[in-house]
Amino acid sequence: MTTTAPRPAEGQLESLDVFRDRARTFLAASMPRRTEGDGPVSMREAKELQAILFDGGFAGIAFPRRYGGAGLTLDHQTVFAEEAAGYRMPTPLAVSVAMMAPTLLDHGSDELKERHLPRMLRGEEIWLQLLSEPSGGSDMAGVLTRAARSGDDWVIDGAKIWTTGANHADYGMCLARTDLDVPKYSGLSMFAVPLDHAGVRIEPIVSADGGDPHFFQEFLDEVVLQDGNLIGPLNNGWAVAHTLLYHERNATAGVGHGRGYRAEADAGDATGSGIDDLIALSRAAGTSGDPVSRQLLAEAHISAVVARQVSDRVMTGIRTGAFEGEWGSLLKLGMGIDAPRRGEIGLAVAGEDGVVWDDEAGDNIDAHSVRWLVSRTIAIAGGTNEMQRNIVSERLLGMPREVAVDRAVSFRDVLARRADRR
Amino acid sequence: MDLELADDRLFFQQNTRRFLERESPLEHVRELHRTEHGFDPGWWRKAAELGWTTLLASEEDGGGSLSGAPLRDAVIVAEERGRLIAPGPFLPTNVVVSALSAGGDPALKEAHLPGLLEGDATAAWASSGLPDDLRVEARADGGEIVLDGTAPHVEAAASADLLLVVVRTGDGIAQVAVPRTHPGVTVVPGRSLDLVRRFARVRFEGVRVPRSHLIDGANAVERALQVALTLQAAESVGAMDRAFETTFAYMGDRYAFGRAIASYQALKHRVADMLLHLESAKATTDAAARAVDDANPEAGRLVRIAAAYVKDTAPTFVQECVQLLGGIGVTWEHDIHLYLRRVTVNRAVLGTPERYREQICVRLGV
Repeated sequence: MTTTAPRPAEGQLESLDVFRDRARTFLAASMPRRTEGDGPVSMREAKELQAILFDGGFAGIAFPRRYGGAGLTLDHQTVFAEEAAGYRMPTPLAVSVAMMAPTLLDHGSDELKERHLPRMLRGEEIWLQLLSEPSGGSDMAGVLTRAARSGDDWVIDGAKIWTTGANHADYGMCLARTDLDVPKYSGLSMFAVPLDHAGVRIEPIVSADGGDPHFFQEFLDEVVLQDGNLIGPLNNGWAVAHTLLYHERNATAGVGHGRGYRAEADAGDATGSGIDDLIALSRAAGTSGDPVSRQLLAEAHISAVVARQVSDRVMTGIRTGAFEGEWGSLLKLGMGIDAPRRGEIGLAVAGEDGVVWDDEAGDNIDAHSVRWLVSRTIAIAGGTNEMQRNIVSERLLGMPREVAVDRAVSFRDVLARRADRR
Repeated sequence: MDLELADDRLFFQQNTRRFLERESPLEHVRELHRTEHGFDPGWWRKAAELGWTTLLASEEDGGGSLSGAPLRDAVIVAEERGRLIAPGPFLPTNVVVSALSAGGDPALKEAHLPGLLEGDATAAWASSGLPDDLRVEARADGGEIVLDGTAPHVEAAASADLLLVVVRTGDGIAQVAVPRTHPGVTVVPGRSLDLVRRFARVRFEGVRVPRSHLIDGANAVERALQVALTLQAAESVGAMDRAFETTFAYMGDRYAFGRAIASYQALKHRVADMLLHLESAKATTDAAARAVDDANPEAGRLVRIAAAYVKDTAPTFVQECVQLLGGIGVTWEHDIHLYLRRVTVNRAVLGTPERYREQICVRLGV
């Protein structure tokens, strides 16, 4: 058979096999292949790639067609990811496409969805999350950013932090307090904030490795918005944030709508060693024949492969219905444990060469040592390992919840108590 | 543990579980501790009737899998066995059945397979030291093969009717089938940490068998090792699964300082890590079994990954259960030590995780 099956009419679900053939043909014809030595995909390239996916009908695979999606299922997304493993994929857009867009789909008004989702899925408009604040990371519902009524408008004041890629983004989903006189989870609302809006200022955060900034801080100073910017009902912001965090964990773990967006990492684990960098490091340091180093290298390889296998298992479990709930947290926990361990293994196999080098040393040593400094990032960002452990034990396994002293009182009282302590 | 069990495989799993709960509950396992071979031959025949011995034999040889994925089917049994620390030579018999069916001479098959498949006979796989430290040599002498040497730590050798011995030959390695009662074979029973699995040292002194008893080739040995390691990992995964259930339930019932110990964050966080290890162990074992069934060219590496991961993880995991159970966890009365014994033996038998990590490096070209 030389022709691809046509895209089926709406209302008739395409079989996975037919979809796979169609995806394979499309990818071969339209997307650039990955080759050895490729650099990471830049945001500019990502936007081009996302547009190709969109125009081919392969963006937002599990999104409804009326919002620019393909009207298929997450199983189709998985099949697509399998086929896409050898191609350059728009990885930098994973936040916007796989976290923000699904959240907007779940909670946004028809107007917001019709206006923004097609642009997001085409990569024309990039969204990010404005959740964490300088005053609190894990306790996200304790946000201090206020949205106050002024006539028919909302006026937002506050500061947000740890946003990824704010230098490229167009919109932020901003969690703000709209009612101080109810308990903390009940007085929050989510707003769509245009980042070029008057009163929004974005500043980069340089991380400990001294490299290009990945994270940013945003200052919101009398940002005036309308009711139409509300995502979900007034004072329902926690539910929206909850959905967003769910999609975030899935996207980080490479499952759900984000499957395939980590194609570089996924393909490495499935077909290669997943630890080429560590092997090169060990060889450069002359330790690849040392029995202890070899045990550690194998451990890193095993972790990389098992992480992929358990992720596949979770995807299968979600598909068959054997798994329900926040399994992405379990995978995120695994990443938060594996990444620092991998950093330690790098230090061990590199030895002295890992921390002292000159121009004769390869780039790899430098890169790894510096990466070690920030190897806890994945164990902190997107919910610390400790928060994932809470979620896994309490929500997945149903163990009793932690006692929370701020649950039954108004947020105004929480703030008053905090002031008393000082 | 497979998340995609079709109805017939699910039925098989439930049947296996019911059989074990009825015919070999843990009290029974404890009683078998005092017996010579650690299992009852009549019980083994019943297990064979349930299909425990036929999954890895071809249909022409009187076997057949449920699903066309024979090792994944056998993994179902191994996991259920692990959940109840079942007795009996399941792993060795299946490894030998698989090797005979795939590569045995027709006369050799005819002599041994029917008995093994029906549960009237059992087998042992003498593979200690594979691949670098094999201590049994085989040489050709006319139409015969002569074996000399000693195989240590051979599971179920004293009760086995047939031994399949991994031997060093002039130019490589191979397997030779030897009836246990053959002249020149001496079985010296030993003890192990496991209450019901028996291991023995087997000496071969000028043991002569016909050439037809040879299953030639390193590939056949590798295939047998892959089957053995996968079944062993599956058994440990089953043990982890049940140990976790038991411990988890206990944490909800046990109260300290006026609340269930399951409510303490220090303990909940440990349980979260344990779930990650448990699911990872299930995932990698399942992936290994699939790779073997699919003749995936990376099966050798994927099996070693599963083996190294589970061998390493399971003993620590069960010790974590002991810690969460507290004082009762280190008593003879509590069953958790049966699980600890089983997975600890599995850690070392058929090779340590350290050995398989080294082999993984070799396979990665490091």
